[in-house]
Amino acid sequence: MNARFRALLKSPWVFHLSTGSCNNCDIEILDCLTPRFDVERFGILLAGSIKHADVLLVTGSCNRQAVERLKRLYDQIPKPCFVVAVGECALSRGMFIDSYNCPVPLDHIVPVDVYIPGCPPKPEAILAGVVKLIRKAAEMKLPATGDGRGIEEVVAQ
Amino acid sequence: MSRTEERENVLNTLHRRFGAGIIEFADRSPRRVYLEIKPESVCEVADYLFHTLEARFNTASATDTPAAVEILYHFTLERFGLVISLRVELDRGAPAVDSLACCFPAAEWIEREIHELFGVDFRGHPDLRRLLLPEQWPEGVHPLRRDYQEWDSEAVRTRGV
Repeated sequence: MNARFRALLKSPWVFHLSTGSCNNCDIEILDCLTPRFDVERFGILLAGSIKHADVLLVTGSCNRQAVERLKRLYDQIPKPCFVVAVGECALSRGMFIDSYNCPVPLDHIVPVDVYIPGCPPKPEAILAGVVKLIRKAAEMKLPATGDGRGIEEVVAQ
Repeated sequence: MSRTEERENVLNTLHRRFGAGIIEFADRSPRRVYLEIKPESVCEVADYLFHTLEARFNTASATDTPAAVEILYHFTLERFGLVISLRVELDRGAPAVDSLACCFPAAEWIEREIHELFGVDFRGHPDLRRLLLPEQWPEGVHPLRRDYQEWDSEAVRTRGV
């Protein structure tokens, strides 16, 4: 495992972005940060700035206004990074699939590493997703997106 | 005067003053009254409700029905817990109605929203710019109209599974 990955997984800092969600997923995400679920035991912290983040956590159905911001944020996040989609809207736009304001799903805009389904997903599901992300990346089964390399290249290294 | 009497009084006054402009008077429940009015008299009725009766202007809502574009202006008379909704029906071809923003500025933004989503022309509105739709949205396309069609060739409408 190269040093950049190890640094990324030791304590992933998360930037939380809502692209037009109903805020229920966001509430569940905040719930994960409370002492009851406590994702900080995995070293996960919310970052206030995208430039400090390792993981871009996206909720919501990607409406037209938010898509521009999402692209801009994805350009700014230091690579390698991970993108996590939380909730049905971020996965497939849920009931908003035919909405005039939600033309393109999240994974057509930026590459997504982990999908956490649910409407909203329970904090346990979010934790399971996070743990999977960390474990898979640690086992190098999953390449970090954004540095243009495929999985074989990463594994071969 | 009891609340019921006061309510009766207000409704009778409305009848008397604007009888010519009222098409239908629907007294649905003790707390809900619908007035279908002619589009040309919406300004005077709303002005009377807001300034003379001191009703609160809640919001306006629009629907595109098969027959007409319909706007409901909702007013609350908090003294006796009554919601009065003014309904106007506008021609679907070129919906236009007088703006209420001249009577009370609170109507400005909701009229801008109805303008962009339904294409209703509010005559006399001081600033009928776009409110919510993104900048790349084409002019003259109103997403909540019944005849709205997908214009974005890049839109993906499958779940990809």
